[in-house]
Amino acid sequence: MLIEINDVWREYKVGRAAPVQALRGVTLGIEQAEFVALLGRSGSGKSTLMNLIGGLDRPTSGSIIVAGEKLGEMSSRKLSLYRRKRVGFVFQSFNLLPAFPAWENVAVPMAFAGVPRAERKRRALDLLGRVGLGERAGHKPGELSGGEQQRVAVARALSLEPALILADEPTGNLDSATSAQIMALIKDQHAHGVAVVMVTHDPDLATQYATRTVRMADGRVVEPVVAVPEAHP
Amino acid sequence: MSFAGVLTMALEGLRRKKGRASLTALGIFVSVLALTLIIGLGEGLTAAISDTLTSDDNLRQILLMPGFGERAENKGEEIVIIGEMSEARRARLKRAAMARAEMRVMAGRRTSLIDDASIARLNKIDHVTGIRPLVFERYDVTMDDQQTQATLTFGLDTERKRFAQRVVAGNYFSGPRAGEVLVHEYLLYQWGFVTEAQQANLVGKQLTLKTQDIAAAGAGALPQGITEALRNIEFTEEEHKALTTILPKVAASMGGREALQTAASKTLTIVGILRENEPSEPVAWGEVSLADVFLPDGTAQELFSAGALSAQLGYQRAMVYVDDPVNVVVVEEALKHAGYSAYSVASFVKQAQQALGIVTIILSFLTGVALIVATLGIVNTMVTSVLERTREIGIWKAVGATDLQVQAIFVTESALIGLVGGLVGLGAAAAAMIPGNILARRMILEQTTLPFSGNVFQLPLYLILAGPALGAAVAVLAAIYPARRAAKVDPVKALRHD
Ligand SMILES: Nc1ncnc2c1ncn2[C@@H]1O[C@H](COP(=O)(O)OP(=O)(O)OP(=O)(O)O)[C@@H](O)[C@H]1O
Ligand SMILES: [Mg+2]
Repeated sequence: MLIEINDVWREYKVGRAAPVQALRGVTLGIEQAEFVALLGRSGSGKSTLMNLIGGLDRPTSGSIIVAGEKLGEMSSRKLSLYRRKRVGFVFQSFNLLPAFPAWENVAVPMAFAGVPRAERKRRALDLLGRVGLGERAGHKPGELSGGEQQRVAVARALSLEPALILADEPTGNLDSATSAQIMALIKDQHAHGVAVVMVTHDPDLATQYATRTVRMADGRVVEPVVAVPEAHP
Repeated sequence: MSFAGVLTMALEGLRRKKGRASLTALGIFVSVLALTLIIGLGEGLTAAISDTLTSDDNLRQILLMPGFGERAENKGEEIVIIGEMSEARRARLKRAAMARAEMRVMAGRRTSLIDDASIARLNKIDHVTGIRPLVFERYDVTMDDQQTQATLTFGLDTERKRFAQRVVAGNYFSGPRAGEVLVHEYLLYQWGFVTEAQQANLVGKQLTLKTQDIAAAGAGALPQGITEALRNIEFTEEEHKALTTILPKVAASMGGREALQTAASKTLTIVGILRENEPSEPVAWGEVSLADVFLPDGTAQELFSAGALSAQLGYQRAMVYVDDPVNVVVVEEALKHAGYSAYSVASFVKQAQQALGIVTIILSFLTGVALIVATLGIVNTMVTSVLERTREIGIWKAVGATDLQVQAIFVTESALIGLVGGLVGLGAAAAAMIPGNILARRMILEQTTLPFSGNVFQLPLYLILAGPALGAAVAVLAAIYPARRAAKVDPVKALRHD
């Protein structure tokens, strides 16, 4: 078991109003070989759960256990290292650094990890080549299309070879043809043993790529875990 | 912690907001520039004071000058203001009369003379090891058919072999009363002996010193301008005679010296030629270095004593030697108590250093205020930067930047601003010191007789390091609060799509 999520609650306190319960007792296990599609209506708590799994946030109660350690109890520094070494995030809105060319965006995680500059550049260019952007390494995000930006973001997520990719609506801003390119990249990672959790509003994408679909509503996992046969696009 | 990412992000932050970063650095630049100049000036002046003035055994010496006596306060009793008037007005007029009486007394007479008797008396003050009159007088100098009027002469301390190193031809005096003179190369040059060989040839020749007549007659009482003018007019024999009779009376009527300087003259042998002193050569306290003819101490005193004026007025200056620098202040007080004016390097240096200290403190305080303002400017810039880059901070954190790395990015950015501001400030200060030193040296040489060759502004190694270090340190301090805010940014909130 890669990640064990046990009765996780996440409450947001805003002012004096009653707290918002974004997650209300989520229990879920994710295996190393899985590609999990997270479905659910807007506001059901999907992003909240992703942030908790990715160590960007801590649960109000319950536990998320990775390699025997509870994420919620880790020091802020250890949590940072967890994000750096084991998780690759892909966001709906790309979240690239606009001032840096593509290759430097890909290299940002390596920079924080202390990879020397020459090595950073070599690996970043290699990764960009793998996502089909070898020619665009020197271009800044503003000079790239949405699909190209998302490919840069995927390359960045892969730069430190994570064990887990967390993709929150990675194709939400893209047309279907471009979505297919991104999904192919993510699927390729899954094929190489990387676990994937992907939030999507598109049930077709879920059936097409995921090994398992998890449906959420009102901060809870609503359907029993149903295994679906591996898809062949 | 890896510094690569930190530096990349910090430099990028600076690159993107070059204008703002430069303006922020300006505050540090100004502070470091001012501080470096102030401390550099303090360093230079302190060094200049101690190098130039405390060289030789200057610290054991006190320059003695005649006193002008106590303020004539009880004389006021004799002044009576008559006539009908209010008491207030009577008192006011009396005060005016007294002040004028006092001024006449002061101008006309030296109350405490430096003569042989008083020298013997002052020699008995504790810690005094000796008193040497400094004799500098103007004489008409004649050699063959060459003559220069009112040439300044100065008696040299033959025991201490003063100026011996400046003899370029011939020899130094053979003794304190040798009847010998050293002549300055410039006087000979003026007389037409241009080459060194021509000048060296003059060693062994006779030279006559003669008391000035007309100018000396009115000396002290007549305004300087008149004495100067008299010197430059060619008088006929008769006019000359008449003037020498009348001038002493004019002088006496103005409350000045009563007797005419009796003519004295002496013929001496040139033993050597003296060159001008180099700016680097130390000057002795109270020394007259602009003289053209130098005499052995004893000879100078004999010549001076031969004049009647000297008996009345005594020597103009004397040097009092003290056994140990620590006793200088005590002896100085004793001399002042005896009615003389006394000046020592020790008290001068003390006063100068006190004044310098106060000025430095005030200027440093002002610079400190500037530095605080600069610091607040940095805080402001960095907080703005953190707010603007919230999303970026979220991205850094999502890809694994630690809180410490996030803090370090902003601290580094700020430190670079401070370091660059400090370095440029240091550079500007160093550049300003070059013309500053030239200007100050020229001013000192023009306005004093000190052979000053040092630097008024100095840049010791510690000061070179201090400016940029201070700039960086202040900037790091200023970045602590903004950096903490940056580290506290919640990545989830920062990354929520817009
Ligand atoms: N910082 C916050 N403060 C208060 N409430 C929050 C906060 N973040 C999320 N919520 C609430 O928690 C609930 C779950 O939000 P979440 O973003 O996880 O939903 P989601 O399933 O990702 O929705 P979407 O599909 O629209 O992205 C929502 O009701 C949301 O309003
Ligand atoms: Mg969401």
